[in-house]
Amino acid sequence: MASFAPYTYIQCPCFDLSNQTRQSDGSPSSTSQSQSDDDDEERAFDPRSPRSNYSLYPLEYLLYCVDCHQIRCPRCVSEELVTIYCPSCLFEVGSSSVKTEGNRCTRSCFQCPICVGPLAVQSLESAPEASLLSADNAAASGPTGPWALTCSYCTWSSTEVGIKFDKPQGIFAQLSKLRNDSNTGVDVSLISGDISPTKRDIGFPEPDSTKTRFSALRTFYQSQLASSSTGSSMAGSMGDYGFGSPAALTRIMSIYSGSTSKPKNKASVMREADVPSEGFRTSNLDESQAISKLRAGGYDGTVTMEQAASQVEEGAHFADELWPVASLLRTKRAKRCPACRHILSKPEAKVSNTRWRIRLVAGNHIPSVTIKPLPTPGVPTPSALAPLKPAQYLLTFKNPMFDSIKVTLATPFTTPGRFASKVTVLCPQFTVGANSDDYDLNEVLKAEDRDQRDRRREDDGSHQVEAGKVFERGRNWVSIVVEVIPASLQIQPTPSILQKDGEPEADLAPLREDEDVLEIPMFVRLEWESEPSQDQVGVAPSGKEKDAKERRELAYWSVLGIGRISRE
Amino acid sequence: MSSRKQVKGEYIETDTGNKVSRKANLIGTQHIMLGGKTVIMADAMVRGDLTRTASAAGSSGGAPQSNTSIFIGRYCFLSRGCCLRPPGRIYKGAFTYMPLRIGDHVFVGENSVVQAATIGSHVHIAANAVVGEFAIVKDYVRILEGTVIPANMVIPSFSVVGGQPGRVIGEVPEGGHDQFEMRDMYKTVGNNIPPPASPGHLAV
Repeated sequence: MASFAPYTYIQCPCFDLSNQTRQSDGSPSSTSQSQSDDDDEERAFDPRSPRSNYSLYPLEYLLYCVDCHQIRCPRCVSEELVTIYCPSCLFEVGSSSVKTEGNRCTRSCFQCPICVGPLAVQSLESAPEASLLSADNAAASGPTGPWALTCSYCTWSSTEVGIKFDKPQGIFAQLSKLRNDSNTGVDVSLISGDISPTKRDIGFPEPDSTKTRFSALRTFYQSQLASSSTGSSMAGSMGDYGFGSPAALTRIMSIYSGSTSKPKNKASVMREADVPSEGFRTSNLDESQAISKLRAGGYDGTVTMEQAASQVEEGAHFADELWPVASLLRTKRAKRCPACRHILSKPEAKVSNTRWRIRLVAGNHIPSVTIKPLPTPGVPTPSALAPLKPAQYLLTFKNPMFDSIKVTLATPFTTPGRFASKVTVLCPQFTVGANSDDYDLNEVLKAEDRDQRDRRREDDGSHQVEAGKVFERGRNWVSIVVEVIPASLQIQPTPSILQKDGEPEADLAPLREDEDVLEIPMFVRLEWESEPSQDQVGVAPSGKEKDAKERRELAYWSVLGIGRISRE
Repeated sequence: MSSRKQVKGEYIETDTGNKVSRKANLIGTQHIMLGGKTVIMADAMVRGDLTRTASAAGSSGGAPQSNTSIFIGRYCFLSRGCCLRPPGRIYKGAFTYMPLRIGDHVFVGENSVVQAATIGSHVHIAANAVVGEFAIVKDYVRILEGTVIPANMVIPSFSVVGGQPGRVIGEVPEGGHDQFEMRDMYKTVGNNIPPPASPGHLAV
């Protein structure tokens, strides 16, 4: 069985609880029997409901808005571009050039069309020349042309598709020139008459540069529109909308004059593109070439879905139609709170700089939870939970804040889902001490000393697993014990005598994926008193109210993945 | 590397805080630079002997240049069975090795092979990964288990890399930066390991 790492996921409040409904899969456990002041009509959160996938995040993915005092997740923040750069050459690309040149690197950054590894420019004649040069004059001249792009991972070379370069710089420009050359060449052949069979013979991929075809089509239809609007000023075609102000004006006039029959009468039929120079292309119905190629090359000669999808231009079917893929640009993004528009995180604009101007992560505001099995001396911790046997786990809450927090936990008595395990939090209410300033080294050392002394003393007294008592306590962390009685994974129908009338039929489907993972939904409520936030201090620094502490509260659902239940 | 505080114990602890296992295979130690507080576990292989050869003979000649082949920053952690190997290529007609530079807070997992040109700071390389020759890994990068990074690949900051060949499959979240911190891990290794740190110090 694969090793299982316990996890804690936290639910972002952007997920609307009121919309959540439990699927009626016959679990009687969905009512929340929480010890805290949880609303009774509020149902326990089900981590297995399909919707939960979209709202549960590990702590490090969450941000925290200090104005709204709320958790924000990657799904609910709004993002803003800070920098656009190429992930391969790490050059910054201006947003204006992205608009004109597209979202790919225009230097010499290419990915292998076969395996997505990076392509390097290599001289095709480097090997023999290099050995000659080293004999007499090493530094005289480097390897000379023709150049090709090669992949160091799968040894693909652009010569396989017949691409060679004259110089090792400006590969993107050379490549697009090659591509256009191949297209215009084919265009000439297309225009000259004989169409489809020659296309494959040339050995170039499908000769439709989408760009050139699009521009040809656009110019054609624009000229058509212009001529039609000048010829009959009220063309009824849809393409007329928004084009040429006189036509639009007359159309509006006809609407307000009320005579709808008028434009219909004058509707002129627009000619469609029918010549290759206008961007028209007959689809190649003669597939004999492709079939013979498939017969010769076999399965290996074809492209996979992924490879075809990664191509810039569509229509590649065979491996020799795959062109090098220019690397896609990447961005640095700032994030804003969706409610108050305050910036939650903002990286430095420079590509090489890894610092952040603003970074309000949830990890600095809500306690982290670590889970580990409670060690029992002499007994090795089993890799999986034994069904129907009580197991104890230590939950350690570590407080990142400089104020001590009061934590209230609530879990349903049994976990939701088909296999309802029993859960008991032995100490659902406790206080976690404040995090002290880590920069004061002496303080830290002292605190650690004290920690260790505390622990030693507690060790002598031996921890008791006792209801209502904290198991272990440190400067800014508290460990509590959770007892679980894992459910049995046996799937058997309830005896008909025990079945109640209204109850739906039990789900007897075999074990689904990860259904053996024991997940505990846990409602966490934090209460703390903090200094009034800074802007408020700036507004009202008056007298004694400065000392008044602000009471804060934060509550959220989280999911604790404890472990897998063994199948016995 | 030479000053030994204790004769016994699995680790040699230097003045600058490096902890090097006696069972580690360090070859060509005079060409290896450790920034301090770096842990090298048993069976880790560091090939300092693969130094630059061509450039010294070619251009400057007499100038005694430092011939360090592996630079390792502070708070790095080389796990069991990993291998650091300077990359090599043909340069001006002759084969030569180039130095391998590693920043601070870099973790190299078990049985991983690193042949990069540069590894930035705060980089986590999981077990059984391969970082190909002359790869450049920037800061705050997480390389997942079993990843094979092709030669000459550049990996930008805040990337999560996985697959064979390696590709960027995700971003390191804003809250995940502290997980690259290696100070606590440094404390867990040594001859006189203090009683295990408080459970709160464990990584999430």
